[in-house]
Amino acid sequence: MNELEQRLQRLGQELDYPSEPDVAPAVLARLDRRPFPWRPVAVAFAVVAVAVAAAFAVPQARTTILKWFHLRGAIVERVETLPSAVERSQAGGLGRQLSRDEAERAIGFELALPPGVKPRRVYVLGGALATMVLRAHGGPLLLSEYRASNLGLLKKSAVAKTVIVAVHVNGEPGLWLEGGQHALTYFNRRGEFRQRTVTIHGNVLLWIRGQLTLRLEGELTKAQALDIARVIR
Amino acid sequence: MHGYQGLAFRTAYLLSGNAADAEEAVQDGFVKAYRALGRFRRGAPLRPWLLRIVSNEARNRRRSAGRRDALALRVASADRPGDAVPSPEAALLGAESRARLLGAVNGLSEEHRLTIACRYFLELSEEETAAALGVRRGTVKSRLARALARLREDLGEEEGA
Repeated sequence: MNELEQRLQRLGQELDYPSEPDVAPAVLARLDRRPFPWRPVAVAFAVVAVAVAAAFAVPQARTTILKWFHLRGAIVERVETLPSAVERSQAGGLGRQLSRDEAERAIGFELALPPGVKPRRVYVLGGALATMVLRAHGGPLLLSEYRASNLGLLKKSAVAKTVIVAVHVNGEPGLWLEGGQHALTYFNRRGEFRQRTVTIHGNVLLWIRGQLTLRLEGELTKAQALDIARVIR
Repeated sequence: MHGYQGLAFRTAYLLSGNAADAEEAVQDGFVKAYRALGRFRRGAPLRPWLLRIVSNEARNRRRSAGRRDALALRVASADRPGDAVPSPEAALLGAESRARLLGAVNGLSEEHRLTIACRYFLELSEEETAAALGVRRGTVKSRLARALARLREDLGEEEGA
Protein backbone atom coordinates (compact mmCIF):
# COMPACT_ATOMS: atom_id res chain seq x y z
CA MET A 1 0.00 0.00 0.00
CA ASN A 2 1.54 3.31 -1.05
CA GLU A 3 1.61 6.53 0.94
CA LEU A 4 -1.58 7.97 -0.57
CA GLU A 5 -3.47 4.74 0.12
CA GLN A 6 -2.24 4.76 3.71
CA ARG A 7 -3.39 8.37 4.12
CA LEU A 8 -6.81 7.43 2.76
CA GLN A 9 -7.07 4.54 5.17
CA ARG A 10 -6.13 6.76 8.13
CA LEU A 11 -8.65 9.34 6.95
CA GLY A 12 -11.34 6.66 6.86
CA GLN A 13 -10.73 5.98 10.54
CA GLU A 14 -11.45 9.62 11.35
CA LEU A 15 -14.63 10.07 9.35
CA ASP A 16 -17.85 11.07 10.97
CA TYR A 17 -20.58 8.46 10.58
CA PRO A 18 -24.01 8.58 12.18
CA SER A 19 -24.24 6.43 15.28
CA GLU A 20 -24.83 2.82 14.33
CA PRO A 21 -28.29 1.52 15.16
CA ASP A 22 -28.75 -1.93 16.65
CA VAL A 23 -30.91 -3.55 14.00
CA ALA A 24 -30.92 -7.03 15.55
CA PRO A 25 -34.17 -6.63 17.56
CA ALA A 26 -36.04 -5.27 14.54
CA VAL A 27 -34.71 -7.99 12.26
CA LEU A 28 -35.62 -10.75 14.71
CA ALA A 29 -39.05 -9.23 15.26
CA ARG A 30 -39.68 -9.18 11.53
CA LEU A 31 -38.64 -12.79 11.18
CA ASP A 32 -40.86 -13.72 14.10
CA ARG A 33 -43.85 -12.11 12.38
CA ARG A 34 -43.74 -14.78 9.67
CA PRO A 35 -47.06 -16.61 9.87
CA PHE A 36 -46.78 -19.93 11.58
CA PRO A 37 -49.39 -22.64 11.05
CA TRP A 38 -49.89 -23.64 14.65
CA ARG A 39 -51.40 -27.04 14.07
CA PRO A 40 -50.01 -30.50 13.74
CA VAL A 41 -49.02 -31.14 10.18
CA ALA A 42 -47.31 -34.01 8.52
CA VAL A 43 -44.38 -32.38 6.83
CA ALA A 44 -40.81 -32.88 6.11
CA PHE A 45 -38.81 -30.95 8.64
CA ALA A 46 -35.69 -29.16 9.54
CA VAL A 47 -34.49 -28.39 13.04
CA VAL A 48 -31.65 -26.85 14.95
CA ALA A 49 -29.42 -29.75 15.66
CA VAL A 50 -26.16 -31.45 15.75
CA ALA A 51 -26.96 -35.09 16.07
CA VAL A 52 -25.23 -38.10 17.45
CA ALA A 53 -24.67 -39.99 14.30
CA ALA A 54 -22.94 -39.15 11.07
CA ALA A 55 -22.08 -35.79 9.69
CA PHE A 56 -22.31 -35.38 5.98
CA ALA A 57 -21.17 -32.93 3.37
CA VAL A 58 -24.21 -31.81 1.44
CA PRO A 59 -23.98 -30.99 -2.26
CA GLN A 60 -25.03 -27.58 -3.42
CA ALA A 61 -28.29 -28.39 -5.16
CA ARG A 62 -31.51 -27.46 -3.45
CA THR A 63 -35.03 -28.11 -4.52
CA THR A 64 -38.12 -26.04 -4.11
CA ILE A 65 -38.78 -24.82 -0.61
CA LEU A 66 -42.37 -25.65 0.15
CA LYS A 67 -42.78 -23.99 3.51
CA TRP A 68 -40.65 -22.65 6.28
CA PHE A 69 -41.09 -21.60 9.87
CA HIS A 70 -38.96 -19.44 12.05
CA LEU A 71 -38.01 -19.80 15.64
CA ARG A 72 -35.41 -17.37 16.91
CA GLY A 73 -32.03 -18.32 15.51
CA ALA A 74 -33.44 -21.26 13.58
CA ILE A 75 -35.39 -21.84 10.45
CA VAL A 76 -37.42 -24.99 10.06
CA GLU A 77 -37.78 -25.55 6.37
CA ARG A 78 -39.97 -27.94 4.44
CA VAL A 79 -38.50 -28.83 1.07
CA GLU A 80 -39.53 -30.97 -1.83
CA THR A 81 -36.48 -33.19 -1.71
CA LEU A 82 -33.46 -33.25 0.53
CA PRO A 83 -30.12 -32.83 -1.23
CA SER A 84 -28.32 -36.14 -1.56
CA ALA A 85 -25.83 -36.52 1.26
CA VAL A 86 -22.31 -37.88 1.15
CA GLU A 87 -20.96 -39.33 4.34
CA ARG A 88 -17.94 -37.46 5.56
CA SER A 89 -17.33 -38.46 9.15
CA GLN A 90 -18.76 -40.60 11.89
CA ALA A 91 -17.67 -38.33 14.70
CA GLY A 92 -17.72 -34.77 13.50
CA GLY A 93 -21.26 -33.85 14.42
CA LEU A 94 -20.94 -32.56 17.94
CA GLY A 95 -17.74 -30.60 17.90
CA ARG A 96 -14.92 -30.67 20.42
CA GLN A 97 -15.37 -32.43 23.76
CA LEU A 98 -14.66 -30.06 26.65
CA SER A 99 -15.27 -29.88 30.37
CA ARG A 100 -18.40 -27.99 31.37
CA ASP A 101 -16.34 -24.98 32.53
CA GLU A 102 -14.34 -24.93 29.31
CA ALA A 103 -17.52 -25.21 27.28
CA GLU A 104 -19.14 -22.30 29.13
CA ARG A 105 -16.07 -20.14 28.55
CA ALA A 106 -16.08 -21.09 24.86
CA ILE A 107 -19.73 -20.22 24.26
CA GLY A 108 -19.90 -17.27 26.65
CA PHE A 109 -22.91 -18.26 28.74
CA GLU A 110 -23.82 -20.67 31.55
CA LEU A 111 -25.32 -23.92 30.39
CA ALA A 112 -28.90 -24.48 31.47
CA LEU A 113 -29.69 -27.92 32.90
CA PRO A 114 -32.43 -29.72 34.81
CA PRO A 115 -31.86 -29.39 38.58
CA GLY A 116 -29.33 -31.87 39.93
CA VAL A 117 -28.39 -33.21 36.53
CA LYS A 118 -24.75 -33.26 35.50
CA PRO A 119 -23.90 -33.68 31.84
CA ARG A 120 -22.05 -36.89 31.06
CA ARG A 121 -20.17 -35.19 28.25
CA VAL A 122 -20.13 -31.67 26.79
CA TYR A 123 -19.24 -30.76 23.21
CA VAL A 124 -18.84 -27.34 21.60
CA LEU A 125 -19.16 -26.72 17.89
CA GLY A 126 -17.98 -23.55 16.22
CA GLY A 127 -17.54 -21.70 19.54
CA ALA A 128 -21.30 -21.15 19.61
CA LEU A 129 -23.29 -24.35 19.95
CA ALA A 130 -22.94 -26.53 23.07
CA THR A 131 -24.34 -30.05 23.16
CA MET A 132 -24.55 -32.10 26.36
CA VAL A 133 -25.15 -35.80 26.71
CA LEU A 134 -27.60 -36.43 29.55
CA ARG A 135 -29.42 -39.51 30.76
CA ALA A 136 -33.12 -39.64 31.53
CA HIS A 137 -36.01 -42.07 31.16
CA GLY A 138 -33.53 -44.90 30.81
CA GLY A 139 -31.74 -43.56 27.76
CA PRO A 140 -29.31 -40.93 26.53
CA LEU A 141 -30.53 -37.46 25.60
CA LEU A 142 -28.85 -34.64 23.77
CA LEU A 143 -29.43 -31.12 25.02
CA SER A 144 -28.07 -28.43 22.67
CA GLU A 145 -27.95 -24.75 23.56
CA TYR A 146 -26.91 -21.64 21.72
CA ARG A 147 -27.44 -17.94 21.77
CA ALA A 148 -29.09 -16.98 18.49
CA SER A 149 -27.05 -13.77 18.23
CA ASN A 150 -23.84 -15.79 18.48
CA LEU A 151 -24.68 -18.47 15.98
CA GLY A 152 -26.15 -15.86 13.71
CA LEU A 153 -27.75 -17.86 10.99
CA LEU A 154 -28.96 -21.39 11.08
CA LYS A 155 -31.23 -23.36 8.83
CA LYS A 156 -32.37 -26.93 8.59
CA SER A 157 -34.22 -28.68 5.81
CA ALA A 158 -35.58 -32.15 5.14
CA VAL A 159 -38.25 -34.19 3.51
CA ALA A 160 -38.77 -37.13 5.85
CA LYS A 161 -42.33 -37.38 7.07
CA THR A 162 -42.73 -36.10 10.54
CA VAL A 163 -45.17 -34.24 12.71
CA ILE A 164 -44.53 -30.66 13.76
CA VAL A 165 -46.54 -29.36 16.68
CA ALA A 166 -46.37 -25.91 18.20
CA VAL A 167 -45.76 -25.96 21.95
CA HIS A 168 -45.03 -23.52 24.74
CA VAL A 169 -42.38 -24.03 27.38
CA ASN A 170 -42.84 -21.74 30.37
CA GLY A 171 -44.68 -19.29 28.14
CA GLU A 172 -42.10 -19.20 25.36
CA PRO A 173 -42.61 -20.70 21.90
CA GLY A 174 -41.28 -24.01 20.76
CA LEU A 175 -41.72 -26.82 18.27
CA TRP A 176 -42.11 -30.53 18.80
CA LEU A 177 -40.81 -32.62 15.91
CA GLU A 178 -40.85 -36.35 15.45
CA GLY A 179 -38.37 -38.37 13.41
CA GLY A 180 -36.82 -37.86 10.03
CA GLN A 181 -33.53 -36.98 8.44
CA HIS A 182 -32.52 -33.39 7.93
CA ALA A 183 -29.74 -31.07 6.84
CA LEU A 184 -28.17 -28.40 9.01
CA THR A 185 -26.73 -25.10 7.83
CA TYR A 186 -25.11 -22.67 10.21
CA PHE A 187 -22.55 -19.94 10.57
CA ASN A 188 -20.39 -19.79 13.62
CA ARG A 189 -19.15 -16.60 15.27
CA ARG A 190 -16.23 -16.34 12.86
CA GLY A 191 -18.67 -16.33 9.98
CA GLU A 192 -17.47 -19.69 8.74
CA PHE A 193 -20.01 -21.63 6.75
CA ARG A 194 -20.87 -25.21 7.60
CA GLN A 195 -23.43 -27.53 6.17
CA ARG A 196 -24.19 -31.00 7.48
CA THR A 197 -26.75 -33.70 7.20
CA VAL A 198 -27.34 -35.75 10.28
CA THR A 199 -29.64 -38.61 11.13
CA ILE A 200 -32.07 -38.12 13.97
CA HIS A 201 -33.28 -41.34 15.53
CA GLY A 202 -35.44 -39.85 18.26
CA ASN A 203 -37.79 -36.92 18.60
CA VAL A 204 -36.86 -33.30 19.01
CA LEU A 205 -38.12 -30.43 21.14
CA LEU A 206 -36.88 -27.00 20.06
CA TRP A 207 -37.72 -23.98 22.21
CA ILE A 208 -36.72 -20.51 23.33
CA ARG A 209 -35.48 -19.76 26.84
CA GLY A 210 -34.58 -16.10 27.35
CA GLN A 211 -31.70 -15.31 25.03
CA LEU A 212 -31.05 -18.97 24.33
CA THR A 213 -32.45 -21.43 21.86
CA LEU A 214 -32.48 -25.00 23.21
CA ARG A 215 -32.96 -28.34 21.58
CA LEU A 216 -33.66 -31.64 23.29
CA GLU A 217 -33.34 -34.86 21.37
CA GLY A 218 -33.96 -38.44 22.42
CA GLU A 219 -36.36 -41.34 22.66
CA LEU A 220 -38.93 -39.28 24.51
CA THR A 221 -42.62 -38.68 24.23
CA LYS A 222 -43.77 -35.11 23.87
CA ALA A 223 -44.97 -35.05 27.48
CA GLN A 224 -41.62 -36.37 28.76
CA ALA A 225 -39.68 -33.82 26.73
CA LEU A 226 -41.87 -30.96 27.92
CA ASP A 227 -41.53 -32.08 31.55
CA ILE A 228 -37.73 -31.93 31.23
CA ALA A 229 -37.77 -28.64 29.34
CA ARG A 230 -39.97 -26.89 31.90
CA VAL A 231 -37.55 -27.49 34.78
CA ILE A 232 -34.34 -26.60 32.95
CA ARG A 233 -32.70 -23.64 34.68
CA MET B 1 -25.66 -10.34 13.00
CA HIS B 2 -23.98 -8.21 15.64
CA GLY B 3 -20.60 -8.92 14.09
CA TYR B 4 -21.57 -7.40 10.75
CA GLN B 5 -24.16 -4.73 11.39
CA GLY B 6 -21.67 -1.91 12.02
CA LEU B 7 -19.84 -2.42 8.74
CA ALA B 8 -23.11 -3.09 6.92
CA PHE B 9 -24.55 0.17 8.24
CA ARG B 10 -21.51 2.26 7.27
CA THR B 11 -21.51 0.70 3.80
CA ALA B 12 -25.23 1.33 3.38
CA TYR B 13 -24.77 4.90 4.62
CA LEU B 14 -22.10 5.62 2.04
CA LEU B 15 -24.23 4.13 -0.73
CA SER B 16 -27.63 5.51 0.20
CA GLY B 17 -26.43 8.87 1.44
CA ASN B 18 -28.89 8.89 4.31
CA ALA B 19 -28.79 7.37 7.81
CA ALA B 20 -32.48 6.39 7.92
CA ASP B 21 -32.26 4.70 4.52
CA ALA B 22 -29.07 2.96 5.62
CA GLU B 23 -30.76 1.54 8.72
CA GLU B 24 -33.69 0.27 6.65
CA ALA B 25 -31.32 -1.19 4.08
CA VAL B 26 -29.44 -3.12 6.76
CA GLN B 27 -32.66 -4.45 8.28
CA ASP B 28 -34.10 -5.50 4.93
CA GLY B 29 -30.76 -6.91 3.84
CA PHE B 30 -30.35 -9.04 6.95
CA VAL B 31 -33.91 -10.38 6.67
CA LYS B 32 -33.35 -11.25 3.00
CA ALA B 33 -30.00 -12.85 3.76
CA TYR B 34 -31.58 -14.98 6.48
CA ARG B 35 -34.26 -16.17 4.10
CA ALA B 36 -31.80 -16.74 1.25
CA LEU B 37 -29.41 -18.78 3.34
CA GLY B 38 -30.21 -21.94 1.40
CA ARG B 39 -28.87 -20.35 -1.77
CA PHE B 40 -25.60 -19.31 -0.16
CA ARG B 41 -22.69 -20.98 -1.94
CA ARG B 42 -21.10 -23.48 0.38
CA GLY B 43 -17.52 -22.58 1.32
CA ALA B 44 -17.85 -18.96 0.16
CA PRO B 45 -17.02 -16.14 2.58
CA LEU B 46 -20.06 -14.69 4.33
CA ARG B 47 -19.11 -11.01 4.48
CA PRO B 48 -19.10 -10.18 0.73
CA TRP B 49 -22.36 -12.07 0.29
CA LEU B 50 -24.00 -10.15 3.11
CA LEU B 51 -22.57 -6.81 1.94
CA ARG B 52 -23.85 -7.45 -1.58
CA ILE B 53 -27.41 -7.95 -0.30
CA VAL B 54 -27.32 -4.93 2.03
CA SER B 55 -25.69 -2.75 -0.65
CA ASN B 56 -28.35 -3.66 -3.20
CA GLU B 57 -30.96 -2.49 -0.72
CA ALA B 58 -29.07 0.76 -0.11
CA ARG B 59 -28.59 1.50 -3.80
CA ASN B 60 -32.27 0.78 -4.50
CA ARG B 61 -33.31 3.26 -1.84
CA ARG B 62 -31.07 5.96 -3.23
CA ARG B 63 -32.40 5.29 -6.73
CA SER B 64 -36.07 5.26 -5.72
CA ALA B 65 -35.62 8.45 -3.71
CA GLY B 66 -34.18 10.08 -6.81
CA ARG B 67 -31.29 11.32 -4.72
CA ARG B 68 -28.54 12.73 -6.90
CA ASP B 69 -26.53 14.81 -4.47
CA ALA B 70 -23.25 13.28 -3.42
CA LEU B 71 -22.77 12.37 0.22
CA ALA B 72 -20.25 14.82 1.60
CA LEU B 73 -17.97 12.95 3.95
CA ARG B 74 -16.80 14.77 7.03
CA VAL B 75 -14.01 14.22 9.50
CA ALA B 76 -15.19 13.62 13.06
CA SER B 77 -14.40 16.66 15.19
CA ALA B 78 -13.78 14.93 18.50
CA ASP B 79 -10.53 13.13 19.26
CA ARG B 80 -10.92 9.41 19.63
CA PRO B 81 -10.50 7.95 23.12
CA GLY B 82 -6.90 7.07 23.77
CA ASP B 83 -5.52 9.47 21.16
CA ALA B 84 -2.46 11.41 22.21
CA VAL B 85 -3.15 15.14 22.30
CA PRO B 86 -1.20 16.79 19.45
CA SER B 87 0.45 20.18 19.68
CA PRO B 88 -1.70 23.03 18.27
CA GLU B 89 0.64 23.26 15.26
CA ALA B 90 0.51 19.53 14.59
CA ALA B 91 -3.25 19.53 15.01
CA LEU B 92 -3.61 22.38 12.53
CA LEU B 93 -1.33 20.74 9.97
CA GLY B 94 -3.07 17.40 10.39
CA ALA B 95 -6.50 18.95 10.04
CA GLU B 96 -5.42 20.87 6.92
CA SER B 97 -3.95 17.77 5.38
CA ARG B 98 -7.06 15.73 6.11
CA ALA B 99 -9.38 18.44 4.86
CA ARG B 100 -7.44 18.75 1.61
CA LEU B 101 -7.45 15.00 1.04
CA LEU B 102 -11.14 14.70 1.93
CA GLY B 103 -11.99 17.63 -0.32
CA ALA B 104 -10.21 15.87 -3.17
CA VAL B 105 -12.13 12.63 -2.49
CA ASN B 106 -15.45 14.48 -2.32
CA GLY B 107 -14.58 16.09 -5.64
CA LEU B 108 -14.28 12.77 -7.44
CA SER B 109 -17.05 11.35 -9.59
CA GLU B 110 -19.53 9.27 -7.61
CA GLU B 111 -18.30 5.93 -8.89
CA HIS B 112 -14.69 6.81 -8.07
CA ARG B 113 -15.57 8.31 -4.68
CA LEU B 114 -17.57 5.28 -3.63
CA THR B 115 -14.84 2.92 -4.77
CA ILE B 116 -12.26 4.83 -2.72
CA ALA B 117 -14.64 4.95 0.24
CA CYS B 118 -15.36 1.22 0.22
CA ARG B 119 -11.76 0.16 -0.36
CA TYR B 120 -9.92 2.53 1.97
CA PHE B 121 -12.42 4.19 4.33
CA LEU B 122 -14.32 1.00 5.09
CA GLU B 123 -11.23 -1.14 4.46
CA LEU B 124 -13.15 -3.65 2.38
CA SER B 125 -11.23 -6.12 0.25
CA GLU B 126 -11.43 -5.76 -3.54
CA GLU B 127 -13.92 -8.63 -3.61
CA GLU B 128 -16.06 -6.99 -0.94
CA THR B 129 -15.84 -3.62 -2.68
CA ALA B 130 -17.02 -5.26 -5.90
CA ALA B 131 -19.89 -6.90 -4.01
CA ALA B 132 -20.89 -3.64 -2.34
CA LEU B 133 -20.86 -1.67 -5.59
CA GLY B 134 -22.38 -4.42 -7.71
CA VAL B 135 -19.49 -4.46 -10.20
CA ARG B 136 -16.76 -6.89 -11.21
CA ARG B 137 -13.50 -7.06 -9.32
CA GLY B 138 -11.65 -5.88 -12.44
CA THR B 139 -13.84 -2.79 -12.51
CA VAL B 140 -12.88 -2.07 -8.92
CA LYS B 141 -9.19 -2.32 -9.83
CA SER B 142 -9.50 0.02 -12.80
CA ARG B 143 -11.66 2.52 -10.91
CA LEU B 144 -9.19 2.55 -8.03
CA ALA B 145 -6.28 3.16 -10.37
CA ARG B 146 -8.06 6.05 -12.07
CA ALA B 147 -9.34 7.51 -8.79
CA LEU B 148 -5.90 7.41 -7.16
CA ALA B 149 -4.34 9.01 -10.23
CA ARG B 150 -6.96 11.75 -10.11
CA LEU B 151 -6.35 12.33 -6.42
CA ARG B 152 -2.59 12.58 -6.96
CA GLU B 153 -3.19 15.05 -9.72
CA ASP B 154 -5.56 17.16 -7.66
CA LEU B 155 -3.38 17.14 -4.57
CA GLY B 156 -0.27 17.85 -6.64
CA GLU B 157 -1.91 20.84 -8.29
CA GLU B 158 -2.92 22.20 -4.92
CA GLU B 159 0.49 21.65 -3.42
CA GLY B 160 2.17 23.33 -6.36
CA ALA B 161 -0.17 26.31 -6.33
